[in-house]
Amino acid sequence: MIKIAQLSCGTEYSSVQAEVEKAARSVGAKVVYPDVSYADVNNAVKRFGFNPRSPQLKLMIARAVQLADEKYDADAVFITTCFRCAEAALVRNELRRFIQENTRLPVVTYSFTERLKAAQLLTRMEALVTIVTRKDILARERQTGLTAGIDSGSSTTKAMIMENNKIIGKDWTPSGDVVQSATSVLENAMKEAGVEFKQIEAMGVTGYGRFTLGRHFNAKLVQEELTVNSKGAVWLADRQQGEATILDIGGMDNKAITVRDGVPDNFTMGGICAGASGRFLEMTSKRLKIDIEDLGRLADNGDWRNAKMNSYCSVFGIQDLVTTLGEGKSFEDVAAAACHSVAEQVYEQQLQEIDVRHPIIQVGGTSLISGLVTAVGEVLGERPIVPPHSQYIGALGGALLSSGFL
Amino acid sequence: MKIFIDPPNSLILFDLVERFGHEPLGAMAPIQERIDMTEMDMPPMNVTLDDVIKGLKYAGIEVPSGIRGRLALWGPLIEEADAAIIMLDPPFNFGCVGCERSNEMVRYMIRRRGIPSLTVTYPEDEEEAKSVVGQIKEFLEGLK
Amino acid sequence: MSEERETRIFMISPNSMMTPDQLVREIHAMGKGVTAKETCYGTLVEGSRELVREVLAAVREKHPYDIYSKVRAYPTGDPRRCRAQHGTRPGYSQLEAEWEALPLIQHGIICSERGEAFETPKEKDKLPPEEFKKICEAFQ
Repeated sequence: MIKIAQLSCGTEYSSVQAEVEKAARSVGAKVVYPDVSYADVNNAVKRFGFNPRSPQLKLMIARAVQLADEKYDADAVFITTCFRCAEAALVRNELRRFIQENTRLPVVTYSFTERLKAAQLLTRMEALVTIVTRKDILARERQTGLTAGIDSGSSTTKAMIMENNKIIGKDWTPSGDVVQSATSVLENAMKEAGVEFKQIEAMGVTGYGRFTLGRHFNAKLVQEELTVNSKGAVWLADRQQGEATILDIGGMDNKAITVRDGVPDNFTMGGICAGASGRFLEMTSKRLKIDIEDLGRLADNGDWRNAKMNSYCSVFGIQDLVTTLGEGKSFEDVAAAACHSVAEQVYEQQLQEIDVRHPIIQVGGTSLISGLVTAVGEVLGERPIVPPHSQYIGALGGALLSSGFL
Repeated sequence: MKIFIDPPNSLILFDLVERFGHEPLGAMAPIQERIDMTEMDMPPMNVTLDDVIKGLKYAGIEVPSGIRGRLALWGPLIEEADAAIIMLDPPFNFGCVGCERSNEMVRYMIRRRGIPSLTVTYPEDEEEAKSVVGQIKEFLEGLK
Repeated sequence: MSEERETRIFMISPNSMMTPDQLVREIHAMGKGVTAKETCYGTLVEGSRELVREVLAAVREKHPYDIYSKVRAYPTGDPRRCRAQHGTRPGYSQLEAEWEALPLIQHGIICSERGEAFETPKEKDKLPPEEFKKICEAFQ
């Protein structure tokens, strides 16, 4: 049984503790609390150097110190506190940093509201468990044999065929019916590769539709997208060794993952609103009546400063857009402002929860929108690497990791 | 008389209030009421979404859920209490009283209700302990 | 609160010579039909409220300064609070801290029973800036 150490404040009084435990159980893990004595609490707070007013936060610190000192045995760490609590947000982030500096345990942070349901935590918990239990598979750097990967995402479905560490076929389509979309992209990828289904030795599936596809195709590997995408990203960017940050601005949610030798050790996955996701750029391009690919090129020729767009929400964002267009601003400036707004929000909402490591590898469908990559580069002060086929990370990761079963 | 104690889970205050002949109102009663409801399944304490929403009576939606959940438990007790004893700076206040913002609000709610209340500071030596117990005894006897 | 069940923590002050085992045996010997489970700091007593209160009164009478008590929300051994299930819950550190403080409270109770006079602490004011300034200047 995988032990996930919970460092938290407020879960029991927010009606969410049962949900946290349910999410852990459903991926074969158990939530545990590192044992601390009263004396441990005082000593730990002194040593840590941050003395919060709330005693429960002091207890969180003491529990983290127990883990760092290896006095308590756990496999992964889940740090969670109430949404909108400033004191807890400070402690949560500093403890995450402390755990990363002092242990090799994978860690994930989360701020919850009383509406939290286990399903929202499932992918995060599953990733923690994968990192612990599938070390051997995640260590794989070369693809062998003939394998396929399918990434069933919220916006698009992608498939890839690989043979002996080379990409030989690929295809994508907007997501419709999970099985139909996957079957169609897989058939097209196989056609490009010149192979038949029966020749494929192993398959790996990831993304929202992974469980359905796993059953349908009898896939060898059914795994959440955090670990699969990370492996795909470092393979494509040829950064299998060392550190990196993987940024995936998705259709519905965004992922920021820090990796060490291709294996995630910290990640955030979020998006409370669509204003900070690829969906907002899609809405913008529709309003401008242009293709989303053209939005990126337009943005590269514009200046966001000429068309202020400063909204947290896609509805208000589009209102800003309408106002700006009404003022007669150029499409280029408006496109640049939309890209800048998404990049800024990703920076504010996701990248504050991790310590950005270099290089930054930007992946996913939105990494093909050049204006967005430019905007991310501007916000972060470093232009991200966008590897070739960057929208195929999940499918590639599936093909790569499933070859570990051969 | 019913005496609300703060910290509401303090063994020391609970013991002293009972010892001096009154009924302490603390954290344990509302929690027991919830955990004994077998039809509910929100372990460990059966504090439900409904409770957290009831907490809106005491604090707005921009206040973290953990505070509203706590206030939903202690609020009705403060409303029911005839008097209150507050102990400041206790070395012990984990668990139920782990959130200092909630604790501050609880103390304010006691003051706003205008019931007789005694505020003592946690003793650091025997002389202070004599004063704390003496004040509590005097306060409780004065209520009879 | 449920009239059916009352669970109580009986905590032995650290400067008492009593052991949890002695306390448990003493409670069993009362023959009240309550359960008493030994813990590291004393005992957990559980039964109907009426019987548990009778036990409390008897224990207080016999050991007025050694034993301190409060009710506990969870029944004895409830898996939702059981240490073996998850590790210690936050309340455990709190009990530990209160246990350490009991000798001070004991002293206070003894003094109050003797009717000893006590002082009500006065609020300390901050040093007025003018005086602090003078002190600073004295160092120059």
